[in-house]
Amino acid sequence: MALALLATGLGACSAEGGTPTLTWYTNPDDGGQTRLAAACTKASGGRYRITTSVLPNDATQQREQLVRRLAAKDSGLDIMSLDPVFVAEAAAAGFLRAFPAAEAAHFTQGVFPPAVQSSTWDGRLYAAPFWANTQLLWYRKSVARKAGIDPNAPGFTWDRLIDAAVRTGTTVGVQGSKYEGYMVWINALVASAGGRIVGGAERGDDASIEIDSPAGRRAAEIISRLARSRAASPTLSTDIEEQARALLNGSRGGFMVNWGYIWRAENGDAKDGVIARNIPSDLGWARYPRVSPDRDAKPPFGGIEVGIGAYGRHKDTLAVDAVRCITSTPNMKKYMIDSGNPAARAEVFDDPEIVRQFPMAGLIRDSIGVAAPRPITPYYTDVSGAVQSRWHPPASVDPNTTPGRSESFVRRVLRDQALL
Amino acid sequence: MESTRPKWPWIVASALILVWTIFPILWIVMLSFKRPGEVGNQKGFLPKHWTWDNYRTVFRTDLFTAALVNSIGISMIATFAGVVFATLVAYAIARLEFPGKKLILSFALAIAMFPVVSLVGPLFDLWRDLGLYDTWPGLIIPYISFALPLAIWTLSAFFREIPWEMEQAAQVDGATSWQAFRKVIVPLAAPGVFTAAILTFFFCWNDFVFGISLTSSDRARPVPAALAFFTGASQFEQPTTAICAAAVVVTVPVVVIVLAFQRRIVAGLTSGAVKG
Amino acid sequence: MTTLESAPAAGRRAGRRGTGRRGAGRADLSDRGRAERRLGLLLSAPAVIVMLMVTAYPLVNALYLSLFSYRITAPDDRRFVGLRNYATALTDSLFWQDVTTTFIVTAVTVVVELVVGFGLAMVMHRAVFARRTVRTAILLPYGIVTVISAFAWRYAFDLQSGFVNTWLGLGDYAWFSGRWSSLSVIVLSEIWKTTPFVSLLLLAGLAQVPRDLGEAATVDGATAWQRLWRVTVPNMKAAILVAVLFRTLDAWRIFDNVFVMTAGQQKTETLSFLTYRQTITRTAIGLGDAVGVLLFLSVVLIAVVFIRGFRVDLSRVRGDR
Repeated sequence: MALALLATGLGACSAEGGTPTLTWYTNPDDGGQTRLAAACTKASGGRYRITTSVLPNDATQQREQLVRRLAAKDSGLDIMSLDPVFVAEAAAAGFLRAFPAAEAAHFTQGVFPPAVQSSTWDGRLYAAPFWANTQLLWYRKSVARKAGIDPNAPGFTWDRLIDAAVRTGTTVGVQGSKYEGYMVWINALVASAGGRIVGGAERGDDASIEIDSPAGRRAAEIISRLARSRAASPTLSTDIEEQARALLNGSRGGFMVNWGYIWRAENGDAKDGVIARNIPSDLGWARYPRVSPDRDAKPPFGGIEVGIGAYGRHKDTLAVDAVRCITSTPNMKKYMIDSGNPAARAEVFDDPEIVRQFPMAGLIRDSIGVAAPRPITPYYTDVSGAVQSRWHPPASVDPNTTPGRSESFVRRVLRDQALL
Repeated sequence: MESTRPKWPWIVASALILVWTIFPILWIVMLSFKRPGEVGNQKGFLPKHWTWDNYRTVFRTDLFTAALVNSIGISMIATFAGVVFATLVAYAIARLEFPGKKLILSFALAIAMFPVVSLVGPLFDLWRDLGLYDTWPGLIIPYISFALPLAIWTLSAFFREIPWEMEQAAQVDGATSWQAFRKVIVPLAAPGVFTAAILTFFFCWNDFVFGISLTSSDRARPVPAALAFFTGASQFEQPTTAICAAAVVVTVPVVVIVLAFQRRIVAGLTSGAVKG
Repeated sequence: MTTLESAPAAGRRAGRRGTGRRGAGRADLSDRGRAERRLGLLLSAPAVIVMLMVTAYPLVNALYLSLFSYRITAPDDRRFVGLRNYATALTDSLFWQDVTTTFIVTAVTVVVELVVGFGLAMVMHRAVFARRTVRTAILLPYGIVTVISAFAWRYAFDLQSGFVNTWLGLGDYAWFSGRWSSLSVIVLSEIWKTTPFVSLLLLAGLAQVPRDLGEAATVDGATAWQRLWRVTVPNMKAAILVAVLFRTLDAWRIFDNVFVMTAGQQKTETLSFLTYRQTITRTAIGLGDAVGVLLFLSVVLIAVVFIRGFRVDLSRVRGDR
């Protein structure tokens, strides 16, 4: 009894004065969204106050926290930063407030198409695109020269990339650990080969699984080839983004596919002297490699969309205003400069300040524009988990059997006929 | 005859034990003094450049400071409540005759063996309905219940060492059972209670499963769960050194308690199971 | 008097108490006796209520929900499916793979901890040098938060940040890329963290071995090895069984280390982690609760095997008389 009283006491002291408080659940970004929240609070002129609460580092765990609270119809979830792949699930479950068409037009205007697609479910917009992300091919210029290749040449493929690394005794860093980042790689390869993992997602657990296709086998071939070659990282099956970066900085560093944060991280580490000071000047970037020379690559798509909780007290009023502030073009630019996360609107990338800070801004913009979102389905967690489970470790991938096995496994998982 | 045998094997063994137990702790301390970028790019046990930055970072982030306050507050309250409850039960079991005694002890034992993970799903639902999800009591209650068995054993064992006649004498002098308990047993039992408190505190401090399953914000998240929420300069960079700094901070109280109360802990851990 | 009292003594006591209780039967039950009963129940009530609240209700709830196909993200889609979730789990190779992993982790840790713990107990028992320091050092791992110990071992063996490969000259051997090497590190960290507990139980057992027995054996010309097996171990059998029972059930539930070090990759997933991933990560409540119930039943099974098979007398473990 005393404990219960204590809890009430603790809970009651959250509201401050008369200003309505909106709680924004953010993914960790070293305080970038918290600073933006403060800016929007100030800009609201006392109409609302945004406080932030941080979610776990891992995308899957972010979803875990949000979904469990939303399922409890938690009214404390006013605004939330969502990984694009989890919007469909939350929308289908009725956890998110849909934006009426009039509002939606504003939030999608000038926004990259993959970001809009990922934020839309059943024809309605459920989240406002906030920032967008994609992967580039990062490489050591000196290694490319030695290998006699130009990663920026049109038609540069994974096969040529792996050959170049093998020839020069260097490595191709990728994300091969059993986590969402591996799914990012698989999906980009399948999409670049002209296929898709899930079709007809609107049919829920009856969606058609299409990973057992020529494109799926092509993706498996590349993964299997890299994983078994000398160009693979020794820790490929546990590598996430940072291991790939460390690999690039090491003595066998050559190439890697990775997100846009690399530029700032490398410059920061070089300045601190923990990596060789000449690495940033040796660092090159190119568009995501192709699967086949005659088909454009479909780079991965990531980022954050901002959703409004369906049970919040201010969901139709203040929360909408706050999201409008958060996702305004000037704030996207400000956030990009502050945190290094690319804006969701193409126009931001033409800003001179952005171009000065991010020399590869144009390439990032073009890559996001043609990026392939991961399957948009309410069962994304199961689809992704099932694919990862059958495609991991990368060295075990067999182009003849893995796509087929993973397809039937995804089906069984979707029908609750298998553990995951 | 013991003295005629060589002592050096025992000395070597003792030295090895010291290295084995202290080394991983020392490693965490070393990592906590490295610069964030050093981990992953430069190997080695010792930091290349010693820095306090990680400690500054963790104490500047609300994530950690809030979690630290939660961990301390929740563990203290749970320890206090758990020890009070356990003392009452242990007293009843050691000194009173009542039906269901065996049942209570068997039940406590079953709890000690319970696979916690089987419970967190349903407990999550129950806490949601009761409004206990993501609150201090939401963690305090499970902590109490899972720390109780150890506390009950430890205390029952201690209580048995207390001379029975003294309580009886007090009762003959006209004291009730309750008065006998308070005036005679409590002073004698205090060291045992203290030991039970240390063990209970360790249990609560150590918890991870409840911490990650039954909280979702700074309101109640304890430190072990909060470590998973740390991040580097961007969401992709790994906060290894900051995690280690936080780890060192939460390890300090443990080391202090162990150094100060080594004898009590040993007595407590052994008395519950075998005569110490 | 606590636990490892000799059987006859326990019997005497039980007998005495038994007669006492009968003597105080119904009508004769004195006021004092009734008050004592009331007080006993009253004092036990808070603890029992808390323990029931956290275990009994959730367990019944898990049993109930495990009969449904139910996901937290599709609450309207809840269907009764009977025992289908159990059938799914029990016929799934992943379930049995995790049972195997859990079994291996448990078996290896318990055996190693018993041996190492015995060694530590001997040192603590005999040590003349820095006795207090040794005891304190042994207690440190016991007090360290498991998650932190897991981080320490993970970073030490990590190829990019650790020192283990450099020191052992292993080059770029990737510990966490293989099943057995990952499990070794997990087991190592588990051993580091929990051996102190085992060694303290065994130390208490050692203290029970009558000294004169060992001396008599020495006079009879027994070697140290024979003394160990013929005198020391049989005399501390109870302590050993208690240690094994506790550590087995504890290791069977291993979760924190796996979560931090591999997140179940490379087939290092254990039963606890499987349950966690179905219920919490995947939010497949029905299926997850079925796995949770199976985990619970496996713990009950182990306990029964120990108590019946090895005759670990729990009434004496817990100091009941």
